[in-house]
Amino acid sequence: MTPAWLSRVALAVLLSAAMAAAQDAPPEVLISRQLAAEQGLTVGSIVQLAVDAEGTRARSFRVAGIYEPTPDPARLGAAPREVRLHLPDLLDLTRPPDVPAGAEYIGNINVALVDPADAAAFSRDVNARMPGVIARPSTEAAGSAGPFRVLERFHLAIAVVTIVAATVFLLALTIMLVDERRETVGILRLIGLPARRVLVQVLIEGLIVAGAGAAFGLVLALLSEGLINAFFQWRYDTALVFVRITRDVALTSAAIAVPLGASATVLASWALLRRSGLRLARR
Amino acid sequence: MNALAFAWRSLVRQPARAILGVLGVAAVGALLFDMLLLSQGLITSMRDLLERSGWDIRVAATELPGRSGRLTGATAMAERIAALPSAKSVLIVRTADARIERSSGRPIDATFQGVARRSREGASITPPWTVTRGRDARGSDEAVIDTTIAEAAGVDVGGRITLRASCSADREALPPARLTVVGIAEFPFAGPNEAALGGSLETLRSACGGNAADDADLLLVTSAGESRETAAAIREAVPGVHALTNDDVVGRLQQTGFTYFRQISAVLTAVTVTFAVLLISVLLTVSVNQRLGEIAALRALGFSRSRVVADVLSESALIVGLGGLLSLPLGVALASGLDRILKGMPGIPADLHFFVFEGTALAVHLGLLAATALIAALYPMRIVSSLPIAATLRNEVIG
Amino acid sequence: MSQVVVDARGVGRTFEMPAGPVHAVRDVTLQIRSGDHIAVRGPSGCGKSTLLHMLGCVDAPSSGTLLFDGQDVSTLSDARRSALRLRRIGFIFQRFFLLPMLTAAENVELPLAEAGAPRSERRRRVAELLDYVGLSHRADHRPSQLSGGEMQRVAIARALANRPQLLLADEPTGELDEATGAQIAALLDRVNADGTALVIVTHDAALAGRAARVLTMRDGRIEQEATR
Repeated sequence: MTPAWLSRVALAVLLSAAMAAAQDAPPEVLISRQLAAEQGLTVGSIVQLAVDAEGTRARSFRVAGIYEPTPDPARLGAAPREVRLHLPDLLDLTRPPDVPAGAEYIGNINVALVDPADAAAFSRDVNARMPGVIARPSTEAAGSAGPFRVLERFHLAIAVVTIVAATVFLLALTIMLVDERRETVGILRLIGLPARRVLVQVLIEGLIVAGAGAAFGLVLALLSEGLINAFFQWRYDTALVFVRITRDVALTSAAIAVPLGASATVLASWALLRRSGLRLARR
Repeated sequence: MNALAFAWRSLVRQPARAILGVLGVAAVGALLFDMLLLSQGLITSMRDLLERSGWDIRVAATELPGRSGRLTGATAMAERIAALPSAKSVLIVRTADARIERSSGRPIDATFQGVARRSREGASITPPWTVTRGRDARGSDEAVIDTTIAEAAGVDVGGRITLRASCSADREALPPARLTVVGIAEFPFAGPNEAALGGSLETLRSACGGNAADDADLLLVTSAGESRETAAAIREAVPGVHALTNDDVVGRLQQTGFTYFRQISAVLTAVTVTFAVLLISVLLTVSVNQRLGEIAALRALGFSRSRVVADVLSESALIVGLGGLLSLPLGVALASGLDRILKGMPGIPADLHFFVFEGTALAVHLGLLAATALIAALYPMRIVSSLPIAATLRNEVIG
Repeated sequence: MSQVVVDARGVGRTFEMPAGPVHAVRDVTLQIRSGDHIAVRGPSGCGKSTLLHMLGCVDAPSSGTLLFDGQDVSTLSDARRSALRLRRIGFIFQRFFLLPMLTAAENVELPLAEAGAPRSERRRRVAELLDYVGLSHRADHRPSQLSGGEMQRVAIARALANRPQLLLADEPTGELDEATGAQIAALLDRVNADGTALVIVTHDAALAGRAARVLTMRDGRIEQEATR
């Protein structure tokens, strides 16, 4: 039977050996998927990181994991070669030898709150307590990102032009389709149906067709969303989402399409109904 | 009556439909034209801007000028470059943030550019600004300002401005610098809402409290000969720096920041062409279906299959052709509006444009319209080509 | 003996329908010579129009042989058959089928232009034809401005544009009143008297009565042939 004291010594030796081994092992880093693919690195690979191309103050690190970087639309086309280090390792690596430890500074601190709804109040509190520090909710930061606001306006302008073009074509088509039924409409007028009655009929039909068209258009948009995202994600090797159809987008599209379609039909029919029934019915 | 004249008469027969079809093509065509202008517009504009500046090589510490990182020992570096046989002149450029005080209201945040010249005897050097009134800043304590500062500060040539510079990443409390405005200038690389002023490097260093190191953000070089050769000579003479020709800069930008616009223009071009093909095809198909009896009668009278097909193709060509012509002025007007929107992006120089007219864009536009007319007509052409004459005539009588 | 324009031997036409084949025309043997005036009568669905379409090379027989001017029509390409219809055959339809966006003169000019006639020749011939049908004063009017009878007369002028050997008329008075129909009948008589072979499909007994030969069809076959 092994004496208890011997077991405790053996355990201490083992623990010491493990700690020593851990201290000798290079610090861990995460690398981006694109960097790993480009350099042929895998989990466990040992890499050298330095502050410049000459290899100044190079240190060894072990790849602990490979991650998919958050896609940056402003850097589309450029493969993100990224490395994530623990902050102390980064500070150690980048601090010039003549600068004492503790004199470094960082640019940003990200804070995850227990309740995200507290973000505005939390920011105000930090700003009041720490002069010289600017705290703001991340949604505000995203909203104040000028390029995306500008792009939003740009895309809206494109959408408006597209809707105008679609409306013009729609009018042309409805005029043709309504004209196909001129004889029927003429006969209905000749037998005594008032114009309003015919218009109501046309409106109902127009709403049904426009509704069906809007639904079909939505399905087409969802399919296109998948195709466009798949193509460009493959093309640029990115996880960026290029097209996203949200509930709001779908509802807005339907809210524009259905009244437009119904109105176009009514307008085309109204133009037709201004002529006499006899003229309409005559071949 | 040839096919085109026949198609014209078919269109004129239903003027409302024809006008709307042409207008629809014009709207879609305008968008298509703009996307083609956008695809290369930014690159063309940037290249033009770089070439107009008069400098054909940019030497920086990083791969893309403007990113963080400075050139140290700038003066010696500039002299070494200026001594190269292939270099004509070198301009040292250092920038700093400046806050210009006003008599009332918030101070004006501006970018202060300080320059120093190194050149061969007789070689002219253009600063990175263009003086429009007054003269260039030569002496210490002289500055040229842009119209944004002039209007906001209520200062003109001969007046004085007081500014506090911020020259390093560390927090500073530098004494104010008083400068005499000797000229009003345009800064082509400043954004439309950005304020900029320029002066000598000595003036800037003085505003930085006299503590600014001998470093620079950029060295602008004019070549005596081929710019690529000069850039190679610079890299050899000064290892570790990035010497980029104008083409290199444009190429880098094309791969990074500008690539989004190329992609969006490609996507929208594809979507627009598809949209146009579908709509015109539907328009023509409905039109043909409404005239099947007439077409069958023409075939019975002896019109050949190729003739009735040519009639449909001509109708498509007319709608797309007329709409396409109208799309050009519409496209130019739309491009002007879209350009104004996009120039609101931060960091975009005032003289940079997203939509630039190029002959190739026009040629591609016309080619795509021609293809649209053809593809859109394919299905209705197939209808008339395979029309069963007897059955159609019979159906017309029964119908 | 006048020349044989059309020689149909055992010609038949079958339509494959979901409910089974429909034999619209069965085993018809018929010769049409230049100057013939033939009326084809029969109840609805007896195959009159189908026979007319085959004679006019608008439809191809499912069985039998059809020779036009000695040429087997089934061996001709679509382009050759179109050329045949353009230059040698004229068609008149019950519903006129004038192009609404063209004037009367332009409608008549169409086949001439398609046949490649020079402009001066086209103008001359159009004037001649409109005069022939009594509508010189309506040359610049569109179909919507013409009466039914006038439209049919323009259609006849159009059909005669390239001096066809054979004129085929499918219910030419079907949409016209009696008086107008009589005018059209008289015009067709004149066309025939001037040397054009004429085959008319009609329900109109008066119109049929003017023909030299009357063929009565039933169930796709020629049941009876009467000669006046």
